[in-house]
Amino acid sequence: MKRILTVDDSASVRQMVSFTLRKAGYEVVEAIDGKDGLAKVSSGKFDLIITDLNMPNMDGIQMMTAVRKLAGYAFVPILMLTTESQAEKKDAGRKAGATGWIVKPFNAEQLIVVIQKLVK
Amino acid sequence: MGAGTMSVGTRAEVVDTLEKAKGELQAMARMVESKIGLVARAFEGLAGHTDTIVSLAAAIVGCVENESVSSVLPKVQTLGAAARVFIADRLQATTGILETVTTEVKLLRQLSRVAGDQEAIAFEIKALSVLTNIEVARLGTVGAGFHYLAQELANFSKSVIEDTKELAHHTDGRRAAIEETRRVLSAELPRLREELARIEVELGNALAVVDSSLTQLSSTPVQLRTCVEDIARQIAGVVAAVQTHDITRQQIEHVQEAFALISASMRNAGDLEDGVVQELPRAYAGLTIQIYQLRSVKETVANWASQIKTCMTGILRVSTSEVVGIGPVVLEQERKVSSQLAHIELLERESQAYSDKIQRTLGGLSNLMQLVSEHLQRSKSVRDRLRLLAFNSIIEASHLGTQADAILAISTSIKGISAAWGQITEQSGQAMQEILNLVKQTNQVMEAFSEASNERLREAQVQTRAALGNLRSAAEFAASQAQQMKAATEKMQAQIAGVGKTGDLLDACFGRGDAVLAEIERLRRQLEVDHPDVKERYDATEVEQLFSASYTTEMERDVLQAALRGTALPVAQPTFAGNSVELF
Repeated sequence: MKRILTVDDSASVRQMVSFTLRKAGYEVVEAIDGKDGLAKVSSGKFDLIITDLNMPNMDGIQMMTAVRKLAGYAFVPILMLTTESQAEKKDAGRKAGATGWIVKPFNAEQLIVVIQKLVK
Repeated sequence: MGAGTMSVGTRAEVVDTLEKAKGELQAMARMVESKIGLVARAFEGLAGHTDTIVSLAAAIVGCVENESVSSVLPKVQTLGAAARVFIADRLQATTGILETVTTEVKLLRQLSRVAGDQEAIAFEIKALSVLTNIEVARLGTVGAGFHYLAQELANFSKSVIEDTKELAHHTDGRRAAIEETRRVLSAELPRLREELARIEVELGNALAVVDSSLTQLSSTPVQLRTCVEDIARQIAGVVAAVQTHDITRQQIEHVQEAFALISASMRNAGDLEDGVVQELPRAYAGLTIQIYQLRSVKETVANWASQIKTCMTGILRVSTSEVVGIGPVVLEQERKVSSQLAHIELLERESQAYSDKIQRTLGGLSNLMQLVSEHLQRSKSVRDRLRLLAFNSIIEASHLGTQADAILAISTSIKGISAAWGQITEQSGQAMQEILNLVKQTNQVMEAFSEASNERLREAQVQTRAALGNLRSAAEFAASQAQQMKAATEKMQAQIAGVGKTGDLLDACFGRGDAVLAEIERLRRQLEVDHPDVKERYDATEVEQLFSASYTTEMERDVLQAALRGTALPVAQPTFAGNSVELF
């Protein structure tokens, strides 16, 4: 079973992401912010990461930059799930190594289709 | 009262009001987060039960879509047709048998008359034998030749009496049996007619039920798909609405930050009136922005809270959907068809017993035919011998002349008796022919009760039983699935109250937000009253930079523009679909 990490400081958003992904047959691990996410990535293997941008302690861009430096994570898909839709923010995300960008709320059906392609 | 004095007093009120408002918003945010968590958990529970129900329904649909189940209707139709033919054949056969039996009764009467006539002739022959013996004695040696005639007549008489007695005994016994059969058949005919009519009606009803059930079952895949699509839409709606909560959460956090910023600016402005007066326009503009943000939050929250309630109710609709009722439909169908098959099987067993009885009764007809045939042979033999005896004795008596006139008269009587006997034998022959016809007719009629005839019905029964077996398996499966569906539905129903209560609590939480909004609006009006020029004395660009630095959503930025530049206040539209992934 493919493992996905979801990082968001909002418990309800984590719950919705987990619900959607588990329903689609994925194993989901939750992290409450970038710092927690990075710790979980460092200690486990994930096939895909979905992260929020604005979070306390460590934001999504910082976490992603750190993750990309970890062994085996250079090409692991990372999707940003955020309320931000500004072009400069997206650009920053792309430069930090994001695979894709989703403005909340996400389309569950489409998200699953994309994830299926990315983790194949 | 001068403007400066008012500013110092206002500063304290602004700081105090904003700190209180910030605290209120923090408390509200914590409560909302907690209630949203409850809503999300309730939603997951409902979605889980919904998944269970849909999976169970899908399994039933898969089962009833199986070809063997859908073939029940043609099988029951075949059985119905076979049962109709079975009963109709028996009805026709019974009518034919009743006619046969009625004819047989007539023939038996005819045979009784024949036997009676033959017995009367036998006594006449016996009398002639006695007269012949007397005449032989009177003639002495001359008449010794007629002693044989007397002896033959005695033997005929004895033999015919025994024969007719036997025939009478058989015909009497047979008549009693046949009368009983006729009584049974007379009673059976109306019952069979009623049974046929009842079977017509019941089979029609059973076929209508099966047909209607199959029609209903055939629509369930579409219903299931619609139901699944509807649920998926409602689930997507809740998932989107809960995420929208995250947008309003951030908006509320940023309003709190703005309150802290304004409060700090006012506090840092010092006690000098000039400082406060310079800070007030920015504070006023900041408050205006926050009022707009809180109004936007209020509207957005009303949208997503309503969306959550609507979608949760939509999810609960599965508990009353037709898909949930699929189990009982299959069960009802199986019950009706089973009852129909059981009835036909009972009818077939009853018919078998009835058929055996008729066959036993009609089997006696062959014995009667045998008996009459033998009797006819003997009668013909008696007729021929009587003719010969009469002929010889007339010749002999003629040789003796007048002294044998009495013997001649006896011989002439024998000739007459021979002719009468011949007529009676003729009647026996006719009766025999009629009995032969009856036997042929009965054999044809009894074909309806034959194994071959039963076989058609039995074959249809076997096929229906096999189809029914599949239907029963499907029904048992549907019953167990329906039981689980019922349990899941009950759990869902139990959660309705919880979800409704959580919805009310959410409304109550945001009621605190309304109070904060009202207080900030009051504060802003107070500033306008105390400092009428405060509206014109701020730099919109500076204020925008100051407050939008922490913004993380387009909604917040658009609301800020509406507050500062008078553009339209953006309205958060409820979204079920959500946003797509933009891949880099």
